[in-house]
Amino acid sequence: MENVMKLANSPIVWMIAAAVIFVVIFQGIKFIQLAVNASGDVGMSKKEVRSALKTGAIAAIGPSFAIVIVAISLIAFLGDPLTLMRVGIIGSAPAESIGATMGANAYGVDLGGAGYNAQAFTAVAWTLCLGGLGWLVFTALSTKSMSKIEKKIVGKSAKSKQIMTIITTAAMTGAFGNLASAEMIKGMAYVVVAIVAALTMVFLTKLADKLKMDWLREWSLGLSIFVSLCIGYFLV
Amino acid sequence: MAIEQLRTTEKNNSAGRTSVPHVSTMDHYHKKAHFWGRLTLWAAIILTLSLPIYLSFILGHHPGWNVILTGFTAYAGVVVAIWFLEPIMYFPILGVSGTYIGFLSGNIGNMCLPSAAAAQNAIGADPGTQKGEISATLGIGAASLVNKLFLIPIILGGSAVIALIPENIQQIFPLILPAIFGAVLSQFAIKKPLFGVVALIIGIIVNIVPLVAYLKSLTSVIATVIICLLIEKKSNVKQL
Repeated sequence: MENVMKLANSPIVWMIAAAVIFVVIFQGIKFIQLAVNASGDVGMSKKEVRSALKTGAIAAIGPSFAIVIVAISLIAFLGDPLTLMRVGIIGSAPAESIGATMGANAYGVDLGGAGYNAQAFTAVAWTLCLGGLGWLVFTALSTKSMSKIEKKIVGKSAKSKQIMTIITTAAMTGAFGNLASAEMIKGMAYVVVAIVAALTMVFLTKLADKLKMDWLREWSLGLSIFVSLCIGYFLV
Repeated sequence: MAIEQLRTTEKNNSAGRTSVPHVSTMDHYHKKAHFWGRLTLWAAIILTLSLPIYLSFILGHHPGWNVILTGFTAYAGVVVAIWFLEPIMYFPILGVSGTYIGFLSGNIGNMCLPSAAAAQNAIGADPGTQKGEISATLGIGAASLVNKLFLIPIILGGSAVIALIPENIQQIFPLILPAIFGAVLSQFAIKKPLFGVVALIIGIIVNIVPLVAYLKSLTSVIATVIICLLIEKKSNVKQL
């Protein structure tokens, strides 16, 4: 196990992980730049651009915390760089822990158990890296076609654009209806937290509208999460 | 600078070709997004593969193709459907650039979508419009960077950082997800209360009925879209 961690944290493994994270960061900056350049042409003011960026950043704080906590549990078996690489790109932490277990089992050992040697670690690395490639390859190959299909369907008439807005809004609401329900059936504390967060959101949005406070709208998701977690603290 | 110049030239060129400059701007934006999106995705694919190849063939820890195939097929059995369903299902929401960022940085449902929705909400842009797509991209891009800002130091500091957080605070971490999802769902319900009610009812039904995980999400999205379209159609008829 000790030798495995030495291998898992060796310089070359670190270099590969660092390169992957660099690509992800570079991509984020590049796309923000592209969007900023196009913003004027779709009728967005500089203030709106700043507001969108700030809101996205604030909204990511809560989720990032949750992601990092799960990631920590993987470090014991995967070492720092592979964890960083897997959780920093496509992988979601829970999916990676399933994959890691399956990779180790395929070699005939338990993750971190007796016989978890360099070869077992390599088997885990193969499983996780190949498993995560599916999304990347499919997205790289098909996004252009999906965009073409969407343009064909949407067309240019005002009515079809209006329908597209309804579909997109409904799709997003439906996605979150499922995500929220999946959490809420886990127990009473989950239901209470979800409801408190929802009510806080309604309250903050109404307040921001009434007082015309843009900053409050930017913070509304972060604050809703915080308030509901404070209530949740007394429930667990 | 060069990009700025390119863009202006392109705009001038296309102005002669089409009478709707906005569409060509967006086309040009998409072209660039496809270029950089594919480039970064393929770079990530090659780098990702280089790690197990290095371990197997340069260091000589190869566990054998049989083992790799067994592990991969077991894992793929769980995720293979999501490889295709997720990018297709989320495309209308994320748009071209959102798809490239979202599927590279991962954590779509729990981070990218809430950030995109919050960014659109903050400036009052409708999903599915050009302004909606640009604001979603800004929101997801910022989210992806913030995520790395958290991830890197904590992974480097490792478990030491987590040990500093008291145990009773750590206990509430599982509640972060219901908090996010509840808040974002109500954000949509404020604008379209009926959509929110429909989505929640379908969500609960889908989660009580025994269904494979990826089908739950797909069923909720499709059922909500169909019912909401019917609702909108009915209310339009009434207005007439």
